[in-house]
Amino acid sequence: MSRVRLPVRRPWRLAAEATALLVAAVVAFPLYWMLLGAFRPAGEIESTEPRPWTASPTLDSFRRVFEQHEFGRYFVNSLVVAGSVVVASALIAFLAATAVTRFRFRFRTTLLIMFLVAQMVPVEALTIPLFFLMRDFGLLNTLGSLILPHIAFSLPFAVWMLRGFVRAVPESLEEAAYLDGASRARFLWRILLPLVLPGLVATSVFSFISAWNDFLFAKSFIISDTSQSTLPMALLVFYKPDEPDWGGVMAASTVMTVPVLVFFVLVQRRLVSGLGGAVKD
Amino acid sequence: MKLSVRLAGFTALAAVLATACAPQTSGTSSSGKDEKTGTLRVWLFQEVDNQPKQRVVDAVLADFEKAHRGAEVTVEYIPVETRAQRVKAAFNDPRSAPDVIEYGNTDTAGYVKDGGLADVTRDFDAWSEARDTDPTARRSVTVDGRVYGAPYFVGIRALYYRTDVFRRLGLRVPRTQAELISTAKRVRAARPDLYGLAVGGAYTYGALPFLWANGGDLATGKGGGYASALGTPAARAGIEAYTSLFGDDNCPAAKCASWTGNDTVTAFAAGKAAMAIGGNFSHAAVDAGKAKGKYAVVPLPGVRAGSIAPAFAGGNNIGVLKSTSHRTLAVDLMKRLASKQAQGRLFDAMGFLPTFTDVREQAAAKEPFVKPFVDTLAAGTRFVPVTPAWAQIDSSLVLPTMFQEIVSGRKDVADASADAAKKMDDAFGSAG
Amino acid sequence: MRRTTVAPPAKRSAPATGARRAPATTPSRRRGPRPRGGWTPWLYLAPALAVLGALLVYPVYQLGLISFLEYTQAQVSGGEPTRFRGLANYTDLFADDQFGQVLLATVGFAAACVLGTLAVGCALAVLLTRVRALPRLALLLAALGAWATPTITGSTVWLFLFDPDFGPVNRLLGLGDFSWTYGRYSAFLLVLLEVVWCSFPFVMITVYAGIRAVPGEVLEAAALDGASQWRIWRSVLAPMLRPILGIVTVQSVIWDFKVFTQIYVMTGGGGIAGQNLVLNVYAYQKAFASSQYSLGSAIGVVMLLLLLAVTLGYLRLLRRQGEEL
Repeated sequence: MSRVRLPVRRPWRLAAEATALLVAAVVAFPLYWMLLGAFRPAGEIESTEPRPWTASPTLDSFRRVFEQHEFGRYFVNSLVVAGSVVVASALIAFLAATAVTRFRFRFRTTLLIMFLVAQMVPVEALTIPLFFLMRDFGLLNTLGSLILPHIAFSLPFAVWMLRGFVRAVPESLEEAAYLDGASRARFLWRILLPLVLPGLVATSVFSFISAWNDFLFAKSFIISDTSQSTLPMALLVFYKPDEPDWGGVMAASTVMTVPVLVFFVLVQRRLVSGLGGAVKD
Repeated sequence: MKLSVRLAGFTALAAVLATACAPQTSGTSSSGKDEKTGTLRVWLFQEVDNQPKQRVVDAVLADFEKAHRGAEVTVEYIPVETRAQRVKAAFNDPRSAPDVIEYGNTDTAGYVKDGGLADVTRDFDAWSEARDTDPTARRSVTVDGRVYGAPYFVGIRALYYRTDVFRRLGLRVPRTQAELISTAKRVRAARPDLYGLAVGGAYTYGALPFLWANGGDLATGKGGGYASALGTPAARAGIEAYTSLFGDDNCPAAKCASWTGNDTVTAFAAGKAAMAIGGNFSHAAVDAGKAKGKYAVVPLPGVRAGSIAPAFAGGNNIGVLKSTSHRTLAVDLMKRLASKQAQGRLFDAMGFLPTFTDVREQAAAKEPFVKPFVDTLAAGTRFVPVTPAWAQIDSSLVLPTMFQEIVSGRKDVADASADAAKKMDDAFGSAG
Repeated sequence: MRRTTVAPPAKRSAPATGARRAPATTPSRRRGPRPRGGWTPWLYLAPALAVLGALLVYPVYQLGLISFLEYTQAQVSGGEPTRFRGLANYTDLFADDQFGQVLLATVGFAAACVLGTLAVGCALAVLLTRVRALPRLALLLAALGAWATPTITGSTVWLFLFDPDFGPVNRLLGLGDFSWTYGRYSAFLLVLLEVVWCSFPFVMITVYAGIRAVPGEVLEAAALDGASQWRIWRSVLAPMLRPILGIVTVQSVIWDFKVFTQIYVMTGGGGIAGQNLVLNVYAYQKAFASSQYSLGSAIGVVMLLLLLAVTLGYLRLLRRQGEEL
């Protein structure tokens, strides 16, 4: 750590640290307020004198969320969607990243540009053609209609990011493996994959978020089968502009945010170093 | 790296990958199947206070499932504001469409043109209860002589006011539109914590009576050719009158500009407004709030003293989707949901006015509450242009945008109404 | 915070200085041993290409196609034949005043979001290098929290914070029942704050990781020369971080230009009289609320072209710097 630290004079450092703590508090405040709102009794939320604490925390809002709707089911649905997208896009992106970093072939650069350009595509605008495509596949109203497009949309960025990790594995390792008589497949799955795993984790954060956040596809493709709804849709049930049930909204938001938070904290180290690694190469 | 060459390669690749075929159409033809078991999906509208409605519906469903072994029903209550997207998506994919839907009578023409609703003329005519359906309600499910659903309830709006507030401030119930506006402002001046008359920039059906009372109309013409009439002096006078209610002296634009009808009712029910234009269907919601027992309803006054502003002949219907694979079951469910018994219960629970003349008379006799609405109905109601274009005008928010532009001060009445008239004419021209 | 990646240390400290590491300096390492795999790379690429071809390229093609057709609900339902309209949808679009306003608002809003995100992200990244472990951890965790928050929950929570009746912000600032979503600019500002809140962590963490890779001696030398903080950033850090800054800028542009959920949820689908519409939401409303699928598609194509222009500019920049893809 000391390598980076500048010789900063003490008062300045204290000021910097105070600023950092203050900023951290401001940044964390919305999340704190969300938790607070989720645990507050109903009367206190609708009070015009909001206080930054609560004397009588209650689980009422959570109970309302889980009772009124099949929230548990939506939660599982969201997990299924995000999980499938993460696994599928990680594997596919891993193969593609290996191809573009460890081989030379015609159109390699073209493909790389294509992966970059593919990130530009405004996903929302594609809702229209995707709707018709999913309809023709007979996938509307199923979780498949959410999983497939998200795999496609998270792939380009994943490939782009994974390149750095794949490239960082020394080529001597590959040669050594072949000298030992390993097949290409064996090298790929037994040697390269474990080494690139931290990169895959960092990458999967992005695909996880995009799939977990999805709101537009769920809104457009899950037409009438409420058993296939996902969390964002369920959240909107509580947010009715004319009479929002803020307690319910905050409780539902909490339920929706916590898994992502846990995921982030788990992969936090790899994310920080991973992002550094990905953009540097 | 030669960028242009690479890009050319990319474009070529893209071209190869894309097979040349135009987007298909869905053909919302009937499925041809008529299964007697399985799950039926029903969409009904989410009301301000939905619980009582849900109880009535649940009772109907219990009977239905008892009568048809192996048939199950799932109901989803969908928000009225975004119904257009939901319903259209359903029309676009018959496979995932629900079997039975509740729909507003302003949407009938559009849905029929989109080929979404099943023609139930024969079933309707064979239904013994249908003989007592009042003619206006029957017209609201009829397009070109064919019937596309069963009327569910009639929705008429009138003026709700807080009797306690009026008494304390010594106010008289307004007898003209001008009096209505001045009364609203007097309430606000005396009680700044209350809105005088809760109005909404997105509350089209609350605004239309002002337009009509001043002699204006939405559009003129019939059948094929409609032309917007928003730009006429009479219509402008109505728009002017309605939008004059937005402001700190009655209903601050910062709040009220984005409000829908439901929002105004919610504000009234919560005791935050002295008056509101609410429907007979708002009755239950208001009774569930703080205003319970402290309010009365009168017809919305017109321009002349003693006259009644023409109300919008609102109402919802229950229809069967053409794509259903359970046609017989769906038609039976439609009839049960809209039956005399169910409508009677719905009236008790929600205050929804029945569409059967006999049931409505019984209801009126039982509940004096209904009188102002029946009076309003009797004074003559109006309707939006009966054309598929209306669904488009409605879903692209032409009128709410106009009101919001005026009340937020972005455009004056003349400009905003001219723009809205142009958008309407475009829609009439393209959707016929 | 220890690094746990597979990258060998030698490579990790150098690469931030992208301009110096021109490919020509290490030709043997880069080109030599990399196998020419024949069909193998294509085999590895096959799944990705299949998925992208079916679910990205084909829909984009369809989007373009629909934008040249007359395609409304009547056509979708099969009632009327689709008709080729050529560029008529585009001329309609550009003749529409509202489209011009929305386009302008989108560009302005995205630019403000990108600038805000980059400024906050970079400033906090520098701040992170100036503080000891505890404050750093606090800031990192808070940022991760903001990043992890799903867009839709972020939007609703921020709405609640700024709620005129029950929100703490108005109370804190003494704004009474000021409605943030009523005015055009205050509504945009509210959304902007939320967007910056949830997207600065990516910039901050990436830039922070980049700064850590800058050799300490360089900075120490600069500091000993008496350079101010701002000068160190301008003359030493920024040039070294240029590749990283390039990437985070492009990513921010892409993300912020396509903001959908925040606008849709926070302004109720585009604000009063559509004052807060951005292209993405506008396209959605045109297509799905008004069933003008062809107009919605044309808007989508315009967005795609604008973003493409940004990408091409970025690629040119890369090429001028001698970067290899």
